[in-house]
Amino acid sequence: VAKLQNPQGAAPAPDPATQALVQKYAWPGRPALIGTSVKRLDGPDKVTGRAKYTYDIARPGLIYGKVARSPHPHARIVSIDLSEAQRAPGVRAALAWKNPGDEVMFQGDSVAAVAADTEERARDAVRLIRVEYQPLPFFSSVEQAMEPGAPTVFQNGNTRAGMVQEAGDLDAGFKQAASIVEQTYSTHVITHVCLETHCVVCEWEGDRLTVWISTQAVHGSVDQFARGLQIPASNIRVICQYMGGGFGAKTQAGAEGLIGARLAQAARAPVKLTLDRKEEHLDTGNRPSAFAEIRAGVASDGMLTAFEARSWGTGGAGAGSNFPLPYIYQFPNRRRAHTDVYINAGQQRPMRAPGHPQGCFITEILMDELADQIRMDPVEFRIKNCPPDAPNAKWRDYLAEGAKLFGWERRHPTGDPAPGPIKTGFGCAVHQWGGGGRGAQARCEIAADGSVVMKCGTQDLGTGTRTIVAMVAAETLGLPVAAITPQIGDTMYPQAGASGGSTTAASVSPAIRLAAGKALDQLLERVAPTLGVDAASLVAANGRIQVRDNPSRGLTWREACKLLGTSPITADAQWTQGLSSTGTSGAQFTEVSVDIETGIVKVTRILAIQDCGLIVDRLTAESQVHGGIIGSLNFALFEDRILDRVTGQMVNPNMEMYLLAGMSDIPQIDIVLKNMPERGVIGIGEPPTVSTSAAIASAVRNATGATIRSLPLMPHKVLDAIQAQRAGGTN
Amino acid sequence: LKAFAYVNPTSERDAVIALRVENGTAAPLAGGMDLITRMKNYIQSPDRVVNVKNALDRTISTTPDGGMRLGAAVKIVDLAEHPQVGRLYPAIVAAAGEVGTPQIRNAGTVGGNLNQRPRCWYYTNEEFVCYKKGGNRCFSPAGENQYHAIFGNDGPSHIVHPSSLAVPFVAYGARFRVVGPNGERTVNAAEYFTMPTLQNVQKENVLADDELLTHVILPAPGNVRHGHYEVRYKQSHDWPLAFATVVLALNGNTIRSARVVLGAVAPVPWRSEDAERALAGRSLDADTAAAAGDAAVAAAKPLSRNGYKVQITRTAVKRAVLRAAGLQTV
Repeated sequence: VAKLQNPQGAAPAPDPATQALVQKYAWPGRPALIGTSVKRLDGPDKVTGRAKYTYDIARPGLIYGKVARSPHPHARIVSIDLSEAQRAPGVRAALAWKNPGDEVMFQGDSVAAVAADTEERARDAVRLIRVEYQPLPFFSSVEQAMEPGAPTVFQNGNTRAGMVQEAGDLDAGFKQAASIVEQTYSTHVITHVCLETHCVVCEWEGDRLTVWISTQAVHGSVDQFARGLQIPASNIRVICQYMGGGFGAKTQAGAEGLIGARLAQAARAPVKLTLDRKEEHLDTGNRPSAFAEIRAGVASDGMLTAFEARSWGTGGAGAGSNFPLPYIYQFPNRRRAHTDVYINAGQQRPMRAPGHPQGCFITEILMDELADQIRMDPVEFRIKNCPPDAPNAKWRDYLAEGAKLFGWERRHPTGDPAPGPIKTGFGCAVHQWGGGGRGAQARCEIAADGSVVMKCGTQDLGTGTRTIVAMVAAETLGLPVAAITPQIGDTMYPQAGASGGSTTAASVSPAIRLAAGKALDQLLERVAPTLGVDAASLVAANGRIQVRDNPSRGLTWREACKLLGTSPITADAQWTQGLSSTGTSGAQFTEVSVDIETGIVKVTRILAIQDCGLIVDRLTAESQVHGGIIGSLNFALFEDRILDRVTGQMVNPNMEMYLLAGMSDIPQIDIVLKNMPERGVIGIGEPPTVSTSAAIASAVRNATGATIRSLPLMPHKVLDAIQAQRAGGTN
Repeated sequence: LKAFAYVNPTSERDAVIALRVENGTAAPLAGGMDLITRMKNYIQSPDRVVNVKNALDRTISTTPDGGMRLGAAVKIVDLAEHPQVGRLYPAIVAAAGEVGTPQIRNAGTVGGNLNQRPRCWYYTNEEFVCYKKGGNRCFSPAGENQYHAIFGNDGPSHIVHPSSLAVPFVAYGARFRVVGPNGERTVNAAEYFTMPTLQNVQKENVLADDELLTHVILPAPGNVRHGHYEVRYKQSHDWPLAFATVVLALNGNTIRSARVVLGAVAPVPWRSEDAERALAGRSLDADTAAAAGDAAVAAAKPLSRNGYKVQITRTAVKRAVLRAAGLQTV
């Protein structure tokens, strides 16, 4: 997680030639394409089915794999008998993935696998694998794991205490406080629920392996397959042309990837292995839960004075659960201690803005409670306690602007005074994210027929990467977007990093810009003699190569490229400091209506104010914000991985009882994107998904006058909180 | 999904014959909304699947006594959009329009909606070998029972009946025509659905394995007021948390008699005689609606985690009565 959050690190200073190139190809002051709204180039292919996702890959002789998984949350494997499965109709290979004596640590843990000539036969056959288990003690909740006297389920302890974070003088801080809030807050576990489940096709040719896989990292996958299969990385090719989402769950080859390769080896045939929705929920990651027992103080002038928290959470079987706390707001005196709690459930994987939605919800609801203590408007209170302004920290501006746009002055104090059961309320929350670029490489090829191919071994998760590759190249070469052929999603193309932590646009765009610029420079050199001018006086614009001060003197792009004859141009470049930067800030406002006779919450309006540096494609940037907000609304209201407390098995491993917003649950969403060309490209994947859920909970509190300190905001919690408030409880 | 034989009979009689398999099992397939999922999840693995869509009536017609007759193969969308059903039995149209999604309503049938199996997550997940799957316990009392029953909890199983149409059918006093190897019979809707007992926990109704529900016969509604109200968490595809149909016979503005049936709260469509008594003899107004809501849940016995459904059910009944009165619900 930390690796994804701050990938930038210390980049070596570029050599003088590269520095000159970066200077020459700084982002244009008056761009023709960048910052406009360009539709996804592959949109028509996707809606017509021409786009081939991993699941659509057909290979000669393809067979189908299926994984046998543990039904137990914790057990020791006594024996694995593959014989019956091996005899089943159509079965071509069967293998044990774990050995007798090994332990399975969660329901859904991979144990064995089969491959058969149809997917249906593989599904039937995998059920014939006989595994004898010795069930062992398990935890299905953090409460069970933390109970005094609980058995030791995890070898190195059921919990792991993290570092204590401290600053200032806590006692002095609480002495300055005019009011103190002492409460416990929590968020729950959700899974990534990519529309496209994990899928892999593995094909061997001798000792060389080709893998089609739905992945956020084609190049990264090579290393994982190489390590997992003990073969040289140079023998592996990984391809991912189209994806139906990753959200952090697809940054690793996973057991299923390696199992697919092993099955293909054993069966001597290409194998496709597709996880179903249940496997997806159980074994491909989740967002850890978060709990925090907090004591916080505020002075009578509205300045925060002290913050003390004991926090914990679970990332499943042996995985961490840390998250930022307090989030963004400045408590001069603070102490926070976090403990990871292990339970017998699938391990967490980074999930869109790892840790931030949890820290944001917990801190923002606390902020609302503190603001009410001193009777201060929540926006004013937040503005008072934000960190100092910076280009990547403009919350004060955004809160003020958002309040104005949203009609914050119409907000009533906590508790809608209107008669009747429908109460409405406003809420707000802020967020931050790092993002930024790192070492992506790209190649630009210009052929004598005028065609331009941009190659980069990045991948398009559905965010529009393919489109911005073409846009940046087209901008640089003075061509329309359609003139560029972007080639991505294949390790045949130059190295690029994983798409995680909002880094793709900021890594790829500079590499494309510089590669296209280098190629253009070569083209200008070749064209200059024909035009009888200096290459330095030529520019590419409007589909022409022309003299900067005399545009009528020049050649069309096609005429210019014809001069290349039999020596086409190839230019390589890589991401270099100067065209991207890191750090974004944003604020969101929500309006909800709550039916206090049923506890049902409906979100009616959302406003997002978001910066992301230089906007490349405005349309796909807005789309990122839409997607992030809808995901966060799901976190606030609907999604919940529910484990049966008695058996430790998930009761809702589907999309029927694991709730997700449909069209009717999604409100009007207004987006204000802040273009900051001077900062370069940053990336906008995570930030918009951080604060929506906190802002929704904040609005529910404003509507009902009752504080719900745990997500999701299910009817029973809303009704309970209202009842507690009426009874004169702590609300 | 286990391999199965597929037969496609074109008459009720052939369908009934096809449902009987020597040394094996058969299952009727209509819209497939429920059965196919069950088969894919290995909850039920019939040896033979009998397509009954071509064997069952797909029409909606009027009966001589002024009532209506619905074929079991009528699609839910056609019921939801039927003008005459809408005039005579508005609660049925309201319930049909809230079933599933447009896709489900376009494929799902009336018979399938009535005979679908429970959506209890212990039943629909293979790991849990519960009473309904031949096991020896119900997982819900000690487990995750937030969507389970708040009425009828004295028996061994705590599912809520999944049918949206069953509730208004019971409220309107419908009868179901059933055919089997020995001919046909008619069963009152209220008696068709069965409470779980240890001896009869694997079924939710009186239909034998080789019988088919062929028609829903609705009596003439008479001069009544109708109200239907469903509470669901998501506004898009979701199961109701509770819903209610009320049918009121009036004398002026005084309620002469009432029928109140609750859905998603018990193993069967749950008739609330307490609410009916609270309505009878009272004037049809907001106070009476609130009193009916309170009375409807007075005898509720929620499980450990579904107490909130009591309040939601109270609200559903109150608002159904308000709708019948033509008053604002919120």
